[in-house]
Amino acid sequence: MGSTQESGTEGGVLTESLVVFLIISVVCVAGGLGVVFSRNVIHATFLLLVSLMGVAGIFLLLLAEFLALVQVLIYGGAITIVVLFVIMLTKSDEFESLVDNSQKPLAFLISIGLFVVMTVAAIAADNGNTVRASLKFSDLGHSLFTDWAIPFEVASLVLLVALIGAIVISKQGEEE
Amino acid sequence: MTNFWLFIPEFTITALAFGVIGADLFLARENKKYLPWISSIGLIVVLGIALNYLLGKQENLYGGLFLIDDFSMFFKVFFLILGLLVVLISSEYVKNHIKHPGEYYGILIFSILAMMLMAASGELLTAYISLELLSFCLYVLVASGRYGEKSTEAGVKYILLGAVASAFMLYGISQIYGLVGTTKFADMNLVLVAENSSALDLGLIMGIVFIIGGLAFKIAAVPFHMWAPDVYEGAPTPITAYLAVGSKAAAFALILRMMSSGFISIMEDWQMVIIVIAALTMTLGNLVALAQNNIKRLLAYSSIGHVGYLLMGVVAMTPLAFDGIMLHLVGYGVTNLACFMCIIMLYNSTGRDDVAGYAGLADRSPFLAMSMAVALFSLAGLPFFAGFTTKFYLFTAVANEGLIWLVGLAILNSLISLYYYLMVIKSMYIDPSEDTTVLVFSRYSLSVLGILVVFIFLVGVYPGPLVELIQEASQSLFSYIP
Repeated sequence: MGSTQESGTEGGVLTESLVVFLIISVVCVAGGLGVVFSRNVIHATFLLLVSLMGVAGIFLLLLAEFLALVQVLIYGGAITIVVLFVIMLTKSDEFESLVDNSQKPLAFLISIGLFVVMTVAAIAADNGNTVRASLKFSDLGHSLFTDWAIPFEVASLVLLVALIGAIVISKQGEEE
Repeated sequence: MTNFWLFIPEFTITALAFGVIGADLFLARENKKYLPWISSIGLIVVLGIALNYLLGKQENLYGGLFLIDDFSMFFKVFFLILGLLVVLISSEYVKNHIKHPGEYYGILIFSILAMMLMAASGELLTAYISLELLSFCLYVLVASGRYGEKSTEAGVKYILLGAVASAFMLYGISQIYGLVGTTKFADMNLVLVAENSSALDLGLIMGIVFIIGGLAFKIAAVPFHMWAPDVYEGAPTPITAYLAVGSKAAAFALILRMMSSGFISIMEDWQMVIIVIAALTMTLGNLVALAQNNIKRLLAYSSIGHVGYLLMGVVAMTPLAFDGIMLHLVGYGVTNLACFMCIIMLYNSTGRDDVAGYAGLADRSPFLAMSMAVALFSLAGLPFFAGFTTKFYLFTAVANEGLIWLVGLAILNSLISLYYYLMVIKSMYIDPSEDTTVLVFSRYSLSVLGILVVFIFLVGVYPGPLVELIQEASQSLFSYIP
């Protein structure tokens, strides 16, 4: 997301990393499919965790250690727990199985269409000349606080507004 | 070394937002009525500082990440004045209907900061995070209405759909970064010109379409408009006005800069997408507006129609068309604020916002009925009002580029819109009212409304100085293109 230099794809020769990539991909996709097809919200959340950890693996494979670390900490640690908390605190037993509506076929068609277009675009893209390169944490930190200081600081305001907003909105219901 | 003086408006407005939230903490409950005054005086000070330090400067910071030029300056001033007007139209509504005035004004000011950053960003990530700041502020403001269900429903709808739109936009940005290798508009243009873009086509177009999709959600263009009527109806009315003007103007500022300095060399590839969106947006917005009987929903669809007109200008991609867009944003903004001020005043005293509630308004409050009629005529685009001048300028600029059929469609749509605006006016002037008590308004709200109505006439009759400012702004935008 934030960094500028790390990039890379399969070189084609590195068979070990290809094998690892295939394993991770299977884990990712299986987890994702599980989330969609699981009828139980709690199961879906844990399958989401599996998929997110797979993505962390892909980041590692691309030598983006920092992103992998953040992925495990934020998505694996925080997001999944928050989702579980939300399920626990809301009256989720009223919706034991997820409900569908009449737009499901349309949504299915559009998703398939989008998948095809995105896949074709990804295959057609010319990625041959990119090399995997690792980026030092210190360089990343340096560029975050120098070249990319504005978006970094604005992100902190986003968090602040989200915090204030969450309190304002939830307080409102309480007093009524 | 970075010259931090160039950030002075952003620094001061952030300080103002913190100041307002802090003041709310220390003010006693009966003194909270001073918050709008603190906010508006603060905004005037920021405006003064911005004009004093940055007028006429042409610089960029962090290698093109943040741009200071006439274009960003024009929008900064526009947003600050808009914010000031929204604070003014909010003050009575907030007193009666909002529980947390400090957070309301504080977050409103944060959202002005976000819009200013959007107009100044010369790079996709900065633009994205500023857009996200704007969205978060608006999510909170929309859900801050006191009346439970509708406001909450509006808030939830807006947050969920907004998150999806952001995700699409982010995917588009990653696609473009992956293919072009930079997120800065100027560098993107260089790469695209150098590579002649043939090898990148499909992925690049997909990236652009995803970004346009994310922004189309913000401006409520068809087919991403579904949230608008519900959110407009459920949000506190001053925030509806703000949504209709502010978030649209900010998204257009970003679209104009991105399309002109980033993607102009592959214009043929994305032009068709915007033509289709523009035609659909104006037609659907105006046709569905015919069937509305809540005034806020009616204006929601009418604003969708106006987005269609504005998008035509993006298709034309000339300095003249960009002038037209900016002029129309100003004219539409003033008119819309006047219109919503009338709605707020009527709602504060009668609690009604359905069209039937306007029956016989001319007898109950002639000034309110007259102002509403002026605003609606201006939205329809009748001569002497702001709407005519700005639409005329915009439509002419688009017609100059040979898009005659699109302009014809826009004129046809303006005629359709005249019909449903006239229905409201007919209801105010001809239909008898069930309740004939004379409505009395505070001198404060009458004078705010008066100022807005004067602005409508001013833009309509004497747009000269404004047009000159706008021309300088669009020239500075086109000066980035080699």
